[in-house]
Amino acid sequence: MTNPTPPRVSEDDYLRCIRCGQCLAVCPTYRLTLNETDSPRARVALLRAVREGLLERPTDRTAAQFFRCLLCGACAFTCPSGVTVDRVLELTRGEMADLGLLPQPLAALNARIRESHNISAEPPESRLLWAQNLPAPPTGVGKAQAEVVYFVGCVGALFPRSYGIPQSFVQILERAGVDYALLGAEEWCCGYPLAINGDLEGAREMMRHNLEAVRSLGARTLVTTCPSCFHFWKHAYPAALEEDLGLEVRHAVEFLADLLESGQIPLRDDLPEQTVTYHDPCDLGRKSGVFDAPRRILRAIPGVTLVEMAENQGGSHCCGGGGNLESMDPALSQAVAARRIRQAAETGAQVVVSACQQCERTLFNAARAERLRLRVKDIAEILLEAMRR
Amino acid sequence: MSERAWIDRLQEVLGPSKVLTSVEDRIAYSYDGTFAQQLPDVAVLPESTEEVAAVVRIAAEYRVPVVPRGMASGLAAASVPFSGGIALSLTRMNRILELDEVNRTVRVEAGVITADLQAYVEARGLFYPPDPSSNKHSTIGGNIACNAGGPRCLKYGVTGDYVMGLTVVLPDGRVLQTGGKAIKNVVGYDLTSLFVGSEGTLGVITEALLKLIAKPGYVRTALAEFPSLDDASRTVNAILAAGVVPATLELMDETAIACIEEAMRLGLPLDVEAMLIIETDGSDEEAVRREMEVVERVCRENGARKVTVARDEKERAQLWRARRSVSPSLARKAPNKLGEDITVPRSAIPEAIRRIKEISARHGLPIVVFGHAGDGNLHPNILFDKRDPAQWEKVEVMAGEIFGVALDLGGTLSGEHGVGVLKRPYVERALGPVSIDVQRRIKEALDPLNIMNPGKVLP
Repeated sequence: MTNPTPPRVSEDDYLRCIRCGQCLAVCPTYRLTLNETDSPRARVALLRAVREGLLERPTDRTAAQFFRCLLCGACAFTCPSGVTVDRVLELTRGEMADLGLLPQPLAALNARIRESHNISAEPPESRLLWAQNLPAPPTGVGKAQAEVVYFVGCVGALFPRSYGIPQSFVQILERAGVDYALLGAEEWCCGYPLAINGDLEGAREMMRHNLEAVRSLGARTLVTTCPSCFHFWKHAYPAALEEDLGLEVRHAVEFLADLLESGQIPLRDDLPEQTVTYHDPCDLGRKSGVFDAPRRILRAIPGVTLVEMAENQGGSHCCGGGGNLESMDPALSQAVAARRIRQAAETGAQVVVSACQQCERTLFNAARAERLRLRVKDIAEILLEAMRR
Repeated sequence: MSERAWIDRLQEVLGPSKVLTSVEDRIAYSYDGTFAQQLPDVAVLPESTEEVAAVVRIAAEYRVPVVPRGMASGLAAASVPFSGGIALSLTRMNRILELDEVNRTVRVEAGVITADLQAYVEARGLFYPPDPSSNKHSTIGGNIACNAGGPRCLKYGVTGDYVMGLTVVLPDGRVLQTGGKAIKNVVGYDLTSLFVGSEGTLGVITEALLKLIAKPGYVRTALAEFPSLDDASRTVNAILAAGVVPATLELMDETAIACIEEAMRLGLPLDVEAMLIIETDGSDEEAVRREMEVVERVCRENGARKVTVARDEKERAQLWRARRSVSPSLARKAPNKLGEDITVPRSAIPEAIRRIKEISARHGLPIVVFGHAGDGNLHPNILFDKRDPAQWEKVEVMAGEIFGVALDLGGTLSGEHGVGVLKRPYVERALGPVSIDVQRRIKEALDPLNIMNPGKVLP
């Protein structure tokens, strides 16, 4: 191979795969296409074929197979021989990028992030547009010092259909009397999209900037509503920057569960009965081990009956929004979402709650496409509704 | 050009989306659950018996090998296309066609995932017992083609015992129907049984009519810990001699336990030589409970240190998830494993295990022993590193010796995985020349062009 860059995946990572096929049973893409090519086992076999020369010259077609994946990690979770498939595939995407085989939409995304420091090439000041139609301006804007930094993330900050999540979250923080700050224009992309699409150096630049910005406020805690920002901050930042962040990184569900349990979020007692199911975001649940906090919050809300989908917690099924599959194969991504929303409907719940702007959006669209009478909400939204004024 | 002519014909008949020719696709269809690998020329994904027949007719016309496969979890390389040709995947034929609750039968397409079928019938109070460890990632068609077994076979029998009829595309493209819903049926040769376990060498199974039974209402599952492997293997026969036929009676040795524990952290004991997983089931709660009491007593009398009965369905499910993960979790101990599947008469289990451990000690490579001890079906797995030629050489000798143990003790090479390619060198010794001759004639009569999964099963 004429690849000047050293390989990112170690031989042991893929030789561990003994091709038993257990991952096929849990892979959302395989279960839909029933084509082995779309299975985790085949993706690992393809990587091995490239490495061992069985496939001599990887092409765009080869690379596409590694990007036609949700990186949801269901395969790794079930793998009895301990292949960390999602991690291996992230690194393999990097190897494909090194070979100049990054699919065009993702190459464009990388370029956009490097240039504008966000995923949609917005001017930095747009990061606070979501705060404009709140009842009062958030106290977290423009602070010089704070205990807690709320890292909003690109989608929550810049996509109007997701504004409801940061809006709800900061209103809860305000009413609970939390000393928090927003980074506003100084918040950059967390770096996750760059890292999973091969640009680790670009990701490091984002990380260094963000860490500096958070440290300058003297914060001890960083909280996110986005599970991917959370996962990346918590796991990739210390590893890639090779230092202790000196920060506690928390997802909103953990932070809110603590506030609730310490009595800082008083709840109304005039709430209607409702049956709710909870969708575990892959980056928050399976990949970060946070299963309990969101369920504690939901169970605490008066009138809520929490029911579980057949596939939940570690065995949860992706919403279809993972791994940039949407930009590679929108129809397949929508089919994954449809399957998940039908699982939610089968529980008899009226509301599906998630804790991720991406899951919320894909599941909302899927509920509409499938004509299901299911409301889809973020956990901050349902909690704010339940909070006493 | 002529090289491509048959592929063009396939694309004309099936449409391009069902005929995969890229090297990426061909790699995906080049392996099964073993370390064997060979690329097919194409992979096809037909969606009906008619489409399968059309593929086979084209293959016959152009003399191209056809290798049928389900989810390729096989452990004998039976679905690896060593001669190239067409990898024919039945996975998209996954409809449940008819559930007949009066006659207790279900008609399914070959690509239905076994666990999906089981969930479907169990929701209606019915039961399809065969339960290969791969039931979530293998298909009914593949199970029938290998006559798959599983833990429950001790009490309920193997896949073949539940096949009442088949739809098979023959190597000349004709469609054969066998069997039917009538329980008694002695008209003509038993062609259903001929195709059960034929590993795709005689035709492509596209549909099956399966027998169902009532779902047992009560189950109890116990885990018995044995400081001595020998005691554990003797206990198997002692339980059966005490008049109890458990639904399952599974044995795992210490290495198997260590591998699962490393993979799943269930808190299994790491200071015992063996464990038995024993399950009793039935429609009478009291009888199931009494049987388990007998099992517990016999285990203790034969050296069990501790017997724990699962308290709820969650604990039970966890035990079975552990058992199902034994084989793949061995990859944590060594880069490669050769998993064998010998059977011996039940009385010979303790002796078989002793001899296998002796083979391991003599050659200096670990052999893990686990399996369905209750029906005499053991899975000795040799752990090794294929990159070391000296080890690979030893493995081949050891595999031969393990088969020797099975045959000497009155057993055979395979209980449920089949022959495929990996056990082919030993088949003649197991069956003898007359049986091989008869089987060859059957193969030649049905597949004179030798296009159906060539090079498999028969020497």
